[in-house]
Amino acid sequence: MKSILRQIVALLLLLAPGLSTADAKEFLLGAELPLTGSLARVGNGTLEGITVGVEIFNRHNPSHKVKLVTIDDESSPAKAVAAVEKLASQGVVAITGGYGSNIIGPASDAANKAGLVYMTSGGVGNELTARGLKHFFRTNGSAGYTKAMAGLFTDMGIKSVSIVYSTKEATTELANDVAKAMRARKAKVAMHPFDPTITDFKPIINKVKLQDRSEAIAMVGYENDYVGILRAAKVLRPATVKAVVGVWSLATPKMAADFPDLMPNVYGTAMLPYPAGFRTAEGKEFADSYKRLYRKEPDYLGQFGYVQAQILCEAIKRADAKGTLAKGGLADEVRRTRLNTLIGQVAFDKNGDNPLFQQRMGQHQNGRIIIVWPKESATGKMNYPAVPW
Amino acid sequence: MRVRVLIPLLVIVLYGVVPFALAGNNYVMSILVAALIIAGVALAWALLGNLGGMVSFGHAAFFGVGSYISAIVTMKLGVPVFAAMLLGGAGAAVAAVAVLPALRLSGPYFALAVLAYAHIFKILATEFTTITGGAGGILGIPTLPRVLGYDFGSKVGGYLVIVTIVLLFALVYARIRNSYYGYALRAMHDSEDATRVVGVHSTLLKALMLFLSAFMTGVVGAFNAHCINFLEPDYAFSSGWTMLPVVAAIFGGYRTLTGPLVGAVVVYTVDQLVFKSLIPSGHQIIFGVLLGVMILFAPDGLIPLLAKKLQWVRQPRGCRDPRTESVC
Repeated sequence: MKSILRQIVALLLLLAPGLSTADAKEFLLGAELPLTGSLARVGNGTLEGITVGVEIFNRHNPSHKVKLVTIDDESSPAKAVAAVEKLASQGVVAITGGYGSNIIGPASDAANKAGLVYMTSGGVGNELTARGLKHFFRTNGSAGYTKAMAGLFTDMGIKSVSIVYSTKEATTELANDVAKAMRARKAKVAMHPFDPTITDFKPIINKVKLQDRSEAIAMVGYENDYVGILRAAKVLRPATVKAVVGVWSLATPKMAADFPDLMPNVYGTAMLPYPAGFRTAEGKEFADSYKRLYRKEPDYLGQFGYVQAQILCEAIKRADAKGTLAKGGLADEVRRTRLNTLIGQVAFDKNGDNPLFQQRMGQHQNGRIIIVWPKESATGKMNYPAVPW
Repeated sequence: MRVRVLIPLLVIVLYGVVPFALAGNNYVMSILVAALIIAGVALAWALLGNLGGMVSFGHAAFFGVGSYISAIVTMKLGVPVFAAMLLGGAGAAVAAVAVLPALRLSGPYFALAVLAYAHIFKILATEFTTITGGAGGILGIPTLPRVLGYDFGSKVGGYLVIVTIVLLFALVYARIRNSYYGYALRAMHDSEDATRVVGVHSTLLKALMLFLSAFMTGVVGAFNAHCINFLEPDYAFSSGWTMLPVVAAIFGGYRTLTGPLVGAVVVYTVDQLVFKSLIPSGHQIIFGVLLGVMILFAPDGLIPLLAKKLQWVRQPRGCRDPRTESVC
């Protein structure tokens, strides 16, 4: 008899985890991202962070299970719209992802029409939030990048800057905002727009060297643009320049590894130092989970993806507890978010933007990325004046 | 006789069955709309090839010009969307005037020249920042309007518009192909000099086909702009707007009237609905292999292959060459 009881107890113990999972409420969370095509690298990086965010949420909330449904938008606007519509037909409660204003714009329009919350960290253009869509949210607008770049220049005491920027929407807006901020600080600003298709930056750098004679070069573009500008600067060596500063996709381990001759002393926006170091328990759990799942150090894309997923999962849980999830209450719940996250404070305004977002600046130093601005987040001293050549 | 039965049946299916059967499935409808956009460009490309005898690698130019003109005149001048789409087509036809010098070329030289024109138009769209928004593009392009209480901005509404556009273009193509001009154009394929001797103004006819093809592509591009509500030069003038329709036309059978249409619908819908379900990332590889097999074993395309298999098409006299019999 005792042995039968023991067997029943053992069986119940074995089934217990399964029972608790079966009891958990399941919610489908859609992820529409560019996993192939020209934006594949950022799409996959963001997805890794989103996956980590969902995994950590499920671990901490056994009564709620968020299941991620991912669709590759192939870096195409039409396929992004189709992906959103497919996710809507599959019954997702919200959509996370998207990269590039050209894709986020139509995809978030489609999500808004379907009454689904759309959360992104991949588009900083002001036009996205100017639409005033009820269901659109983003964690990082261009204002946070402007504050970081202009703040770094101010701390350096820069009196003249040449802004070399791509004529894409997001980069033009950011370049103009940085110029405005620097002029307000009485700095001399020279603007150098360039077509996104150009590869030879020597004429522009020659102007910086001979005409502007600026103390700093501000680069507002994308990876290939930075490489082109830095190569030209390395050839022409403008003598007055004391610092070369860029924005996104620059202060990354990949750039340090791929272009070891171009990156030393270059600055870029970075939420994380490299190797990644976290002081908070949440940060350490994120880094541990990330390394366990992907066997590599987390980068900024993963960090943004994680925060997107975290905000949505928490809002889903709150809306479910209030019984408003099925009644379209998720957007209101996301709008009530007040979180101190791995990318800083997050709270959304009426247009879905996060006005509290502020980037940090990192500097490439000996193959590492050191956070040098703001002072309270710094992980080391900045090398200044210092240039890659 | 069979054609007389098939065409009304097709119209009933396209207008009566598809919208009702798929009205609740926005995903499939959006895939279908995207496929029909490619079908429209594929048809225009095939028209230029079959009737004008010109192989173009630059239809993205006409697609982009049509989409930008339609977007700009609706947003800046307040022109109604449907009228703007026609203006987009007209603008693309006008832009084709710039391509006229390339008519002196033939074969790969013409193809490459048109490709260069496409790049020029893309640069113009990037540089005319005050009109086009430059590389930043235009967001918030008006969607298709509500007419007599019916919302053409809905998925079904958009489908009805693009299916009508494509069928009208197919009708125009068929009419021209069966007219005296069509015979003259096809005769030019064999010997342009010979047709000139008998009084055919070959350059004029080729130019007219170029304008018509550009107009058709421009209207489809304009429709796409009002569907996606966003434009930027990289997207509007993307080489994908040339390559995918070319692949679709060749897959379906570019020498036939229905080949480009069926090819585009099959290529896009099967790739997105079937292959993407099987391999979510990298599904294009299946289609690539399939296309290779198709070109090797059935170079005339899907429609002639099916026609042969099912013996739907009666072979007229004189059509002995298997590569050309479908256009006889």
